[in-house]
Amino acid sequence: MSTQTDDTPFTGIDLDWEHRKNRIFLGIIVAASMFGVVMLALLLLDVATDFYRGQTEFGISLVDFFTRDGSRREELAGFRGAIVASIMLMLFTAILAFFVGVGSAIYLEEYAPDNRITRLIEANLANLAGVPSIVYGLLALAAFVNGVGMGPILLAGAIALALLVMPIIIVSTQEALRAVPDGMRNGSYATGATKWQTIRQVVLPAAMPGIMTGTILALARAIGETAPLIMVGALFTNRIALGPFDRFSAMPTQIYNWAAEPSQHFIHLAATGIVVLLTFMFVMNGIAIYLRNKYERDL
Amino acid sequence: MTDETSETSGTGKRSRRSFLAGAGATSVVAVAGCMSGGGDGPSGTIDASGSNTVAPITDWAGENFENEYPDVLVDVAPEGTGAGFQEFCRGNSAVQSASREITDDEVGLCEENDVEYGFLEVGLDGLSVVKNSENDWVDEITLDELRQVWEFESDVETWSDVRSEWPDEDIQLHARDDASGTFDYFTEAINGEMGNIRDDYSATSQTNEIMNAVAGNEHGFGWGGLGYLRDIEDDEPIEAVPVESDEDGEFYLPEQENIEEGLYSPLARPLFAYINLASLEEEPDLIGSFARFYVNNQHEFARDEGFYATTDEAQAENHDKIDEWLEQVGADPDEITVQRE
Repeated sequence: MSTQTDDTPFTGIDLDWEHRKNRIFLGIIVAASMFGVVMLALLLLDVATDFYRGQTEFGISLVDFFTRDGSRREELAGFRGAIVASIMLMLFTAILAFFVGVGSAIYLEEYAPDNRITRLIEANLANLAGVPSIVYGLLALAAFVNGVGMGPILLAGAIALALLVMPIIIVSTQEALRAVPDGMRNGSYATGATKWQTIRQVVLPAAMPGIMTGTILALARAIGETAPLIMVGALFTNRIALGPFDRFSAMPTQIYNWAAEPSQHFIHLAATGIVVLLTFMFVMNGIAIYLRNKYERDL
Repeated sequence: MTDETSETSGTGKRSRRSFLAGAGATSVVAVAGCMSGGGDGPSGTIDASGSNTVAPITDWAGENFENEYPDVLVDVAPEGTGAGFQEFCRGNSAVQSASREITDDEVGLCEENDVEYGFLEVGLDGLSVVKNSENDWVDEITLDELRQVWEFESDVETWSDVRSEWPDEDIQLHARDDASGTFDYFTEAINGEMGNIRDDYSATSQTNEIMNAVAGNEHGFGWGGLGYLRDIEDDEPIEAVPVESDEDGEFYLPEQENIEEGLYSPLARPLFAYINLASLEEEPDLIGSFARFYVNNQHEFARDEGFYATTDEAQAENHDKIDEWLEQVGADPDEITVQRE
């Protein structure tokens, strides 16, 4: 405390400037947080405009769009085959990824001792979740399409997507299991239940909404994945796929094909396809959010 | 993707209309037939690889073939001519579309894997030399002048460097980069050697960009696939330059009759479909029928996709080749479901 200081402290500080800095900083962070929203809005606007122009200027009929399969002729091309293939892909991806994913999450959370091997597995899972999707496509191409000799069939695509989403399912299942209070487990043990009885009848039912939410979000990611399917070879198939051993072209690969065509009609078919794909994703995300909100307070 | 993207143009619109009714009607039958799984004639899956320029023709042929024979699936993967030959020469595809002939390296690869093959000429593609519509001095260009402009270490900077009566203004050059089959073809046809080209032009992998650049600049000059020019020439100030023919020395525009009669040469290139003879031996009816179906309608398929038809002689020659291959693999050419028309 120097006696030489003026009687009025802080005179060296320009208060107006400090307040202005405060407002500028606020403005910058608000702009930063709006950036994502604005970009998404622009993207949606662009898709909606192209969709609208496709309907009006190019006379794309939604009925035809949903009842026809792919074609080289823009007037004959539709999305049915791709939609059917994508739904089947989701089904097989879910079957392949769900049981393995949930099983390994239960092991890691409930059974595995906290030792080096467990930590190694968990570190691996974290890394797998960050692997670019095209790498899973390459794996499926080398191991299943060419290695086993499956060819570019729907099951090979489902395997690639299942590998892609499995880490996400495992991590979200682990979180759901962790959220179940230990009191519930201990209560179950207190009645003399075995570990498996406890998991099956107490822990899993309590964690199921969380597991379902994670699984649906993972599948919503898988339905839009293009790169692994291109690697597997799901391109240019005009026919509808009727089973897991048929060749296929899913929604994203069909859009990819159409968008690469020089004709404007195909470009607008692609935009219509994007609207359908986005609708699928929004519905799946909506279901996930609904499940989460519905069961959130029950624990 | 080492090739240019598919091209469409105004040609083929008339024949397309008449095709719609038939294709629409048969597609219903196609789905029904697919579900029942029965039916006569060829059945199975044909794997097709190759050029993404030519793939649309093969794909369109495949789609029509599928509509005719519901138990067949023709799976066309347009990975590019070079990448396609890598698959084809390893025996992974039965049909390979190509925007150029097979190279020596690829012949070697095929031999290494004992892949025997033959090729069909399925259509013609035109390369256009383009200028801005404001440009009223270039009425025609000789092959020598084209080479002068484009060859390696060319010293042409202004229009007057080409012809003294042309204006003393800088030429703005736009063309494809070396990743495309179009580039390979142009450099070989004009500059005499694949890859021989000056290094100070504006290179792009998108033919659209070349066309837009030339349309936007009075002194723009370039070349690219004809389909892209046809797409925009009605709306934008861009037009084709008549090019000297190495057939008769006259100047010709890249128009359908000039290309199909062989007068627009050397800037019209043949497009090919290679057939794996081992696949033909394995499934003579399936592959043989598809090859014949393709050749029977090759003029129509090429024009539908914005390309140009080969001569009728080339078509007949294709048919003779197919008969020859069938005999070579021990199949009776008369026993194949699809007969030549």
